Amino acid sequence: MSILNTGTKIGVLVIIFLVLALLGYALFGDRETVKTSPLVGKDAPEFTLKLFDGKRVSLSELKGKTVLLNFWASWCMPCRQEAPALEQSWLKYKDKNVVFIGINVWDETRSASSYIEKFGGGYPQGIDPEEEIQVDYGIGGVPETYFIGPSGIITDKYDGPLTEEIIDYYVNRAAGQERDASSTN
Amino acid sequence: MHPQRTRREKPIINMPTIKNRKIAAAILTLLFLIFHQGISAAESLDDRVNEIAHLLMCPVCQGQSVAESNSNLAQDMRQIIRKQLEEGKSKEEVITYFVNRYGETILASPPPKGVNWLLWVLPGLAIIFGGLGIGIYLYKSQSGKGSGDSGKRPENRAADSDYMLKIDEELKRHES
Repeated sequence: MSILNTGTKIGVLVIIFLVLALLGYALFGDRETVKTSPLVGKDAPEFTLKLFDGKRVSLSELKGKTVLLNFWASWCMPCRQEAPALEQSWLKYKDKNVVFIGINVWDETRSASSYIEKFGGGYPQGIDPEEEIQVDYGIGGVPETYFIGPSGIITDKYDGPLTEEIIDYYVNRAAGQERDASSTN
Repeated sequence: MHPQRTRREKPIINMPTIKNRKIAAAILTLLFLIFHQGISAAESLDDRVNEIAHLLMCPVCQGQSVAESNSNLAQDMRQIIRKQLEEGKSKEEVITYFVNRYGETILASPPPKGVNWLLWVLPGLAIIFGGLGIGIYLYKSQSGKGSGDSGKRPENRAADSDYMLKIDEELKRHES
């Protein structure tokens, strides 16, 4: 003998159907590509950095070059972890139309300077005096790295410590200017 | 003599006073308006910054809005909201700036599209069907109450007694 009458059974079936339909739409209805940053595939926001050696550098000056933009802080342990890989890769790419730029955020200048002395970084390192670049690039933590192609389009964003292999992979993608590339990280 | 002197003195003393009062009142009114305008403008900017900061979630915090968080990033974001409002950008433009950089997950109230539909629809469905379920349960428990007969119709009572008689007969047969 059934506990539920026919009306209740139909009601339960309708509820199950509605929930499944909603789940189906939620999972398969929106086919937008998942990217780590909405900025991937768009023009990299312009910036001017004040470098620790006193010079200044703007993104617009680097047009035609592949750019690796690495956000870091001296108190960040994963940043220390990736520092040797960044240094090695910079040495490897510096004569190949690839520019590495380190951007120090949420830090004290003295701590940042001693970090650079200790962990190397022969490539330009600087800060944004306006303290806006981290928001302009949608940074949520450090280390985070953007790869920008020669035409100024962001090809990838990588969250977390880099290795030489990861750098090779994304630098080559950026150099190839794969406009529709989406990050796999 | 005395009344004449007072009559003469009155206008000499009072005329400039009235003029002065009018001028002073006008200056005070003007100053008040300028000062008040300044204060209300400052307040409204703070209010607008706060309003937008409440609509954005801090990307590095657990369930805190940009207005509530004291993280470095939230402070930077509040600063940028203020700067953009001062530049004359609208609330929508400021919000779009952040969505373009952090995605829609930064919104405190995600727009009803894609997966977000579930967030908007499921609570309503839960209330409707939960209410229906509770209603049905209450109705059934009410109608089931008093199976000791007081709430039952006479024909049901008769059917019940027939049924009880049959059970008795069955039991007797089983015992024998």
